[in-house]
Amino acid sequence: MPTVPCSPRKSGMSRWYQPAFTASLGLVLLGAFWIGGHPATGLGGLGLMVGMAVVLLVGGRSDTIRGLRGDGRDERFAMIDLRASALAGFAVIMAVIVGFLVEVAEGRTGSPYDWLGAIAGVVYLGAIWVLRSRS
Amino acid sequence: MENEIRRLRGSSGISQAHLAQAMGVSRQTINSIETERYTPSLPLALALARYFEKPVEEVFHANGSV
Repeated sequence: MPTVPCSPRKSGMSRWYQPAFTASLGLVLLGAFWIGGHPATGLGGLGLMVGMAVVLLVGGRSDTIRGLRGDGRDERFAMIDLRASALAGFAVIMAVIVGFLVEVAEGRTGSPYDWLGAIAGVVYLGAIWVLRSRS
Repeated sequence: MENEIRRLRGSSGISQAHLAQAMGVSRQTINSIETERYTPSLPLALALARYFEKPVEEVFHANGSV
């Protein structure tokens, strides 16, 4: 039996990438809130994002954490990630549709739900067209 | 999809972790395949069959679903 990897399938992503990205997003949050005149809220957001980054960085024993972090991601976790992303996208689109209907029913224009829904629809149809032509 | 991975691994005396390392996947993925909660991709199924030096159809059984 072979004792060397037949064909490695784990992601080659560094374990530092996702925590660094999460912490960087916290800094962007801080900057945005600071510009908006709410630095305390920004500091709270930064603290939350840095906390998430630390959990991602030190939670190496968990299959889920390693998958989220990227360095423990294999084909099974990629499938889980795809399904979870689809579910999250479905929930957001449902919220956009409900929000749009409520806005319209209350006599308003439906903004910003109208263009959010339009973006979702255009991206979905574009993705279907591109992915269909590639498979 | 039913498979013989657990039986083959047991008769070879190797651990899930060892097989996972050889396949380049997580131990949890090997466990999910053995318990038939996850159907591996064709490349991984072929790699598993080659690892145990068996034809892929002797390792994985479509179980009437194809």
